[in-house]
Amino acid sequence: MARFIIIRMFQTLVTLIVISMVVFALARASGDPVMLMAPAQASMADIEALRQYLGLDKSLPEQYWVFLKNVAKGDLGESIRTRRPVATIIGERLPYTIQLGLPAIFIGIFVSLILGVTAAVKRGTWVDTAVKFIAILGQALPSFWLAIVAIQIFAVSLSWLPTSGTGGPDHFILPVLTLSFFMLPIMTRLVRSSMLEVLDSEYVKLARIKGLSEMLVVWKHALRNAIIPLLTAAGITFATIVTGAVIIETVFAWPGIGRLIAEAVVGRDFPVTQAVVLLVAVMVLVVNLVVDILYAYVDPRIRY
Amino acid sequence: MERVSFWKKIKKTWDFSRRLPVIPIVIMFVLIVCALFADLSWLGLPDIRLAPYEANEMSLSDRLTPPFFMPGGSTEHILGTDNIGRDILSRMIFGARVSLSVSLLVIVIASVIGTVLGMSAGYARGRTDAFIMRVTDAAMAFPALLIALLLAVSLGPSFKTVVLALSALSWAPYARMMRGEVIKIREEDFIAQARITGASPARILIKHVFPNVVNTLVVLMTMSVGLVILIEASLSFLGAGVPATTPTWGSMASEGRDKIVKGWWISLFPSLAIGLVVLSCNFLGDWIRDRMDPRLRQL
Repeated sequence: MARFIIIRMFQTLVTLIVISMVVFALARASGDPVMLMAPAQASMADIEALRQYLGLDKSLPEQYWVFLKNVAKGDLGESIRTRRPVATIIGERLPYTIQLGLPAIFIGIFVSLILGVTAAVKRGTWVDTAVKFIAILGQALPSFWLAIVAIQIFAVSLSWLPTSGTGGPDHFILPVLTLSFFMLPIMTRLVRSSMLEVLDSEYVKLARIKGLSEMLVVWKHALRNAIIPLLTAAGITFATIVTGAVIIETVFAWPGIGRLIAEAVVGRDFPVTQAVVLLVAVMVLVVNLVVDILYAYVDPRIRY
Repeated sequence: MERVSFWKKIKKTWDFSRRLPVIPIVIMFVLIVCALFADLSWLGLPDIRLAPYEANEMSLSDRLTPPFFMPGGSTEHILGTDNIGRDILSRMIFGARVSLSVSLLVIVIASVIGTVLGMSAGYARGRTDAFIMRVTDAAMAFPALLIALLLAVSLGPSFKTVVLALSALSWAPYARMMRGEVIKIREEDFIAQARITGASPARILIKHVFPNVVNTLVVLMTMSVGLVILIEASLSFLGAGVPATTPTWGSMASEGRDKIVKGWWISLFPSLAIGLVVLSCNFLGDWIRDRMDPRLRQL
């Protein structure tokens, strides 16, 4: 077990280094940041001074090393547009995304468990077809469309809910629900196929033979075992939610990190984009690492 | 002899086209026609066009005209106009170009990169394999949209950037799938025989291994068209796609977002177009998979 954890952590570290290199390389591909930052009337000497100040006169490996050291210290540079430290901006925005993301993940998991299990139990009936239909539709429709339609119906036509922005609890309803819909198609499909496999197993048959109620067999004996393979999908789910947050926060003018990166892209604010991407990369990798270790813990057959 | 093989051919074609997904094929056909004949500027005839108006033709007096079936709508602008009076239908027809060209290019590039890397990894094994698969894992673990956004910022939004970003994201599944296939095939006897006769690894991969994985490759390619179109639309929606002078479905949906009260049709029709096309691609992909490589089917 210890060996597995160490190998897995080492792999995560390597992946992280690869990603940080890519991000760093892209930062340098974006053209000369000095030209972007220097005022138009700056003289050549000023520009050279600024370049030295920013450490851009050093060789690339040296620059990468400085970049790594700064990131490790929590210094993510400053925004080109607002001139504020990126770490501070992210600190302000992140809570909003968490407020949106956590409930969305819980609702998404809950609904997809119900849909997936029901579809598996009623395999081949109209219920199964309906769930499959939702999953296929959910995978095909553009993610922003649902949000736009939801605003149109519930905020504009019926005026039950606010169209966008933050405020009271009613501001949460539409963004959270539309965000949770992002993970629904994939999760439902996974739950369904995992459940189908488990329902076919010997121990489920045994539980039925024992005379347990169908309710108990499905929701306790079968579901518990069907959930284990789903653990591996947690990383994908997390990535989906992050992608979803970028779009949902943009549509609903929600001041989280998703909106932050969308704004940064439009304003070509590289330090902000780079920092958010790195942050998300670290989070995705950590989620994957934790999940893999948990998985190996739950299912001792998984080893290197 | 001739006749038998002829009938066999007919039967084979018939078997292949069983349960042909007619509606998706029609939709894809319409998409291709729109993309090709939106106008004929590529033949040097920009005046002959399928779209009723030019993509960026404005008429401010007609702005926010609703679609023809609504009160106040007219058949002059069948799907209405946006807030600066551009014809929605025409822009959608031109927008088909971006969706189609981006997805085709991306899939060709991504599948070539993914196949070469995956096949080399699977055939070489050992350290090469470990290295390539680590990179693949890193590419797969990452939220696709974010890398594309990063590229859009660093290289500036352009058609090339979009294609590059999407290709950089989509090769990993090909690499993984191809590697798995090659690992199975390389243990077969005919590969060992090819090796004994002195064929080089490159020759073995191209002549002996590739023909056995081409079905899987085609299935994977068709199944990922929809996804590429969706991500392209999301990029355009966020303003990181093809520059705004070219209409795309994603950017149209985005433009209509803050006019949703006065003109819901501006964003609804392009979004519906995306949904329909992606749905058709997915159905076509499923059908091709069932015909060519049913093993890839999930439960």
